[in-house]
Amino acid sequence: MTLEMLARPQDSRPWTKIDPKLLRAMVIAAVFPTAFSLGFWFLSGLNFIVVLYAVFLPLQLLGGAYAGFTGYGRRGIPDGLLVVVTLFLSAFVLIMLLSVVVAVFVTGFQALSPHFFYQNNRYVGPTTDLSYGGLGHALVGTLMIVSFTTAITVPLGVATAVYITETQGKSRGLIRTLLQAMSGLPSVVAGLFIYAMFIATGVSSYAGYAGSLALVPLMLPTVSRVSEEALRLVPKELRNGALALGAPSWRAFLMVTLPAAKSGIITAVLLGIARIIGETAPLLLTIFTNNVTNLNMFDGGVASLPTYLFLNLSFGTDGSIARAWGAAATILIVVAIIFSAARIASSSKKTGKKK
Amino acid sequence: MAAYSAIVIILLILFFLMQRAWPAFEQQGVLEFVFGVGWDTSVSPPVLRIGPQLYGTLLIAAMATAIAVPMAISIAYFIVFIAPKSISKAAVILVDFLAAIPSVVIGLWGLITFVPVAVEWAAILNQLFGWIPIFAHDAGTFANSPFIASLVLAIMIVPIIASVTREIFSQMDQEVIRAAQALGGNAESTFRKVILPTSASGIVGGTLLALGRAMGETVAIYFVLNLVYDRFNWGMILMPEGGNVASLVLAKFAEATEAELSALMAAGVVLFVVTLIVNAIASWIVTKAQPWRQV
Repeated sequence: MTLEMLARPQDSRPWTKIDPKLLRAMVIAAVFPTAFSLGFWFLSGLNFIVVLYAVFLPLQLLGGAYAGFTGYGRRGIPDGLLVVVTLFLSAFVLIMLLSVVVAVFVTGFQALSPHFFYQNNRYVGPTTDLSYGGLGHALVGTLMIVSFTTAITVPLGVATAVYITETQGKSRGLIRTLLQAMSGLPSVVAGLFIYAMFIATGVSSYAGYAGSLALVPLMLPTVSRVSEEALRLVPKELRNGALALGAPSWRAFLMVTLPAAKSGIITAVLLGIARIIGETAPLLLTIFTNNVTNLNMFDGGVASLPTYLFLNLSFGTDGSIARAWGAAATILIVVAIIFSAARIASSSKKTGKKK
Repeated sequence: MAAYSAIVIILLILFFLMQRAWPAFEQQGVLEFVFGVGWDTSVSPPVLRIGPQLYGTLLIAAMATAIAVPMAISIAYFIVFIAPKSISKAAVILVDFLAAIPSVVIGLWGLITFVPVAVEWAAILNQLFGWIPIFAHDAGTFANSPFIASLVLAIMIVPIIASVTREIFSQMDQEVIRAAQALGGNAESTFRKVILPTSASGIVGGTLLALGRAMGETVAIYFVLNLVYDRFNWGMILMPEGGNVASLVLAKFAEATEAELSALMAAGVVLFVVTLIVNAIASWIVTKAQPWRQV
C-alpha cells in the first residue's frame, strides 16, 4: 500500500459539499417514515398518538441509523439516533407550545371586538350575549395594579442590584441567595402573605393596593437579577475613568454607570412586568374582582385581566368561556408587546456596546 | 438600605404567615398536619391535614419535571448545535416568549383544548399498560388525573428549563467540543461524554428552579386536577384523584371558616418552606455551575 493510495481514496470528490450516497440515504430517511406512517394512519384508523409512537418513531429511528451508517459507518449510527430523538422531542414540544398560542389567538379573536376592550362587565352575566360587555374595566385595573407594583418594585430592585454589583457590602451573598429563593416563591403564598398582613388583621378590606403589594415579592427577583446582569456588563474602565477624573463614586455611578446600563435596566423592568401581568392567585386572594371600573386603588375590588379570565372560565358557560379566550388573547398580546419592547431595548444595548 | 428589602420581605412573609398559621399547627400538631389525612370541618375539633396534598404536589411536580427535562434538553441541543443560525434565532425568541406565557392562559388551554386530547392518551395508556398498577383505572373519567395535570405542568416548565439549558450550552467552551471531535468523537459521544457532563450541574440547577415553579403553580393545575382529601393516591396516576397544596388554598379559600383559614395559612407555610429548600439547592448548584456569574 503506497502513500498515494491512502491519500486518495477511490470515491473521493472533495468539491461536492455532501456525498451523493449520503444525500440519498438522508432523503430516504426523511421521507419514507413520514409517508409510511401517514399512509398507515389513514388505512388503519388507529389513534394518531399510537401511530406516532409505535410506527413513526421506530421507523424514523431506523431511518436515522441508516443515514448515519451510510455517511459515517458504524460510529455514525448513534449520531443518526441522536439527531432523530432530538428533532422528534423538539418538534413534539414545540407543536404543543405553538398549539397554546394558536388556540388562544384563533379562539380568542372571535371574542375580540372594539367594545370588548372598552366596555365593562356591568349587567353582564355568564349567559349574556358576546355583543355586550367586555374587559375594559379589567384592562384599566391591570394597568393600575401593575403600575403601582412597578412603582414600588423598580426602586427596590435596582437598588438591590446596585448594592450587589457596586458596593463591597457584607451581605451581598446573602441577599443574592434570598433573591434566588424568592424567585421561586409560590404566587399563592404571596397572596396569603398580604391577606394575613392587611386583610385578616383588619387594616383594610379587599383593595387594589393590597394586590399590588402581593405582586411585589414576585416581581422583585426578576427586576434585580436582570438589572444586576446589566450593571455587570458595564466595562470597569468606564467607571474607573470617571473616578480617575476625580468624580466622587456617587457621581461616577449616576452619570456614567447608570446611563451605560440604562437599556438593560429598562429590559429588567419590562421582564418584571411580563412576569407579574398574568399572576392570578395572589390577586384572587387580595383584591378579588369587580364587575365595573374602579379607579380607587384603596377601596373595593379592582378587576384585572387574569382574574377576569379565571372567573369567566370558572362559570363554564359557552359565552363566558368565549370571554375567557378573549381575555387570554388580550393578555398574550400585552405580553408580546412588552416582550418585543424588552428585546428592542436589550438589542440596542448590544449594538451600542460593540461600537 | 433598599437593598435589604429582600431580607425584610422574606422575614415579613414568614412572620405574618406563621402568626396566622400558628393556631392550626397548635391544634392539629405539626407532624399530623403535614403528613396526616382528612379535611373535615363538620366534626369538632375540625380535622385539617394536608398529607395527600403535599404528596400530590411533589408527585405531580416530579412527573412534570421528568417529562419536561428530556424535551427541554432536546430543544436546547437543537437550538445550539443542530439548527442553522436563522432558525435557531427564531427558536430562541419563541422559547423565551413561551416562558413568559402566564399560567392562567396555560390553564385555560389545558382545560378546554388539551384535556380532551389527553383523555384519549390516558385511555390508550390504560388499555395497553393497564396491567401495570400505576396505569390501572376504574373510575368513570380519565380527566382530572395527576397524569394530565403533570402534562399541562410539563408544557409550562419546558420553556423555563430550555432557556436555562440553552444559555449553558451556548456558554460552553467551544475548544472542549472541538477537542473531543479532533480526538475522533462523533456527535453522539461528544454530546454524551463531553457536553452533558460539563453542563450537568447547570441543567440540574435549572431543572430544580423549574421544579420549584412547578410545586408552587396554582391556576394551571386548579382546573385540571381533582383533589382528594381523605387518602393518599400513591401512584395511580390515571385516576381522577390527586392533591396539590396551592390548588387546595385556591379551592378552599373563598368559603373558609376561621380554623380552615388558619390551616390554609399553615399549608402556605409548608409550601413556602418546601420551595425555599428546593430553590436554595438550585441556586447553589447554578452558581457553582456558572463560575463566571459569581459575585
